[in-house]
Amino acid sequence: MNLAWKEIKKNKTKFIILGSIIFLVSFLTFIISGLSNGLSQDNAALIKDLPEGQFYMNADADATYNLSRIDASMQDKAMNGQKDAAALSIQMGFVNDADDKQHSIAFVTSTDSKLFESVEKGEIVLDRSLEDKGLKVGDTLTNNQFSGEFTVKAFVDQKKYSHAPVAYINMENYKEIYRVNEMQLVFVPGKEKALEIEGLQSFSNKDFLNTIPSYSAEQMSLNMIVWFLVVISGMLFAIFFYMMNVQKIGLYGILKAIGVKTSSLFGMMWSQMIVITLIALTFSVALSQGFTMIAPAGMPFSLTLQTTVQLSIVFIIIGFIGATLSGIQIKKVEPLQAIQQGEV
Amino acid sequence: MTVFTIDEVKKTFTNGEIDEQVLKGINLSLQEGEITALVGASGSGKSTILTIAAGLQRASDGRVLFEGKNMTDMNQEQIRKIRASEFGFVFQSAHLVPFLTVEEQLMLMLDVSETTMKKKEQKAEVAKILKLVEMNHRSKAYPASLSGGEKQRVAIARAIIHKPKMLFADEPTASLDSKRSKDVMLLIRDLTKTLNITTLMVTHDEEMLSYADHVITMKDGLILQS
Repeated sequence: MNLAWKEIKKNKTKFIILGSIIFLVSFLTFIISGLSNGLSQDNAALIKDLPEGQFYMNADADATYNLSRIDASMQDKAMNGQKDAAALSIQMGFVNDADDKQHSIAFVTSTDSKLFESVEKGEIVLDRSLEDKGLKVGDTLTNNQFSGEFTVKAFVDQKKYSHAPVAYINMENYKEIYRVNEMQLVFVPGKEKALEIEGLQSFSNKDFLNTIPSYSAEQMSLNMIVWFLVVISGMLFAIFFYMMNVQKIGLYGILKAIGVKTSSLFGMMWSQMIVITLIALTFSVALSQGFTMIAPAGMPFSLTLQTTVQLSIVFIIIGFIGATLSGIQIKKVEPLQAIQQGEV
Repeated sequence: MTVFTIDEVKKTFTNGEIDEQVLKGINLSLQEGEITALVGASGSGKSTILTIAAGLQRASDGRVLFEGKNMTDMNQEQIRKIRASEFGFVFQSAHLVPFLTVEEQLMLMLDVSETTMKKKEQKAEVAKILKLVEMNHRSKAYPASLSGGEKQRVAIARAIIHKPKMLFADEPTASLDSKRSKDVMLLIRDLTKTLNITTLMVTHDEEMLSYADHVITMKDGLILQS
């Protein structure tokens, strides 16, 4: 007999309250996770969208790419025979449009590679967010350190760095603007182990992201909130089921006295936890996915179904652990004690 | 025929550093289809002997034999199986499951006893037993809407639905008025005779003793009179 479902049906209010709490906590977690991912994309989509590989920067740069300068011989050593490898530089800057309106951007330049936009001298490829600000293909842009003009060649989707839209420019133009001859970084795609190159330090994509000022601090704070919420939801499960179990000690005792197995009582509690969690998660997944469609355009929000499903699985596991810990009382219940306590 | 034997059963409770012996060597034989009533003052040990016999707690010493099998040598799971399939319980309070209807309380007991009956047969059996205890008209009611007497009738129906060999009743009329107490005792007597169930009952109500085949008086952990 499905005791779990019958109890839920008879005590709807109690279970709706628990379900609502789980719904609210999980919804909040999904939204914060969406914001965290959104900010992460806004901060480093340029790097995050690259395949797994190794970044190299000068060993003397103290893991700060801005200080890194890789000379031609080192660059050749790092890129030698590596398919799709690229030497690149990233610098924050700005361009002015025809109305002399200034736009903050992150200049990116690289050697020929399919991983980065290939741009001719005097051309510029921009992140699409600048199209929303009124720039169009064919527009002319200037920079006070550049003698010439840039013509907007195209827009690309979701290419951000340090919360600024990326602007791909030709290496010669870059060298003129920043008065440098060396590139800051070499990127070698592939899952192979990093090569040991004298004078260069290697970083995985993840390690490189953490060298970006503000990225790790921002992500750590947001991820901490997400995991706090997950732990809190586990505690909520434990506390709620503990309170329900305390109320039902007498009932469990009587059921044990008439011969119900302890494992059946645990099964009853687990079924209730699974049913309530699945219903609550269905609502919060649907609502959070709906929110991704209506989130304001300027809001850095990115919540994939994969992330929501992963977090949902974590919620179910945490809920299961919370409910099980609170259920230890069920194992301890003595039928005799329950009988002597009177009516349940 | 002897169905149940209690042989030199002793029970000692430890309270801090003090050991209190509440049963001092009880011997008892229960015959098939008969009602045995245990009476005595509070603290005489009558409820303790009933709960030991019912497998709800262990004896400190002695043997409890059900159909020749020594329950004191059994593990918890073996005792649970006997409780589920061979024993029925009626407590002072009805102790019904609050979120199950009258009909479902009985279906649950059939489930617990691992009956081989099919669902249709189970429903027919439930209807038959509810008619027997005159509760068929309340089969869809929840415990909260039943009177004290009705609850106890359902508790009795639950205790016998799986055709147990033994029925343990711990002051089954204590929470009822005198008219309802008589009705319940008549019901227990009729059912045990009809279904050939061996009953061990604890009561302090002398009026109820007339329904028993044997009356055993206990005092200070010993059988005073049988």
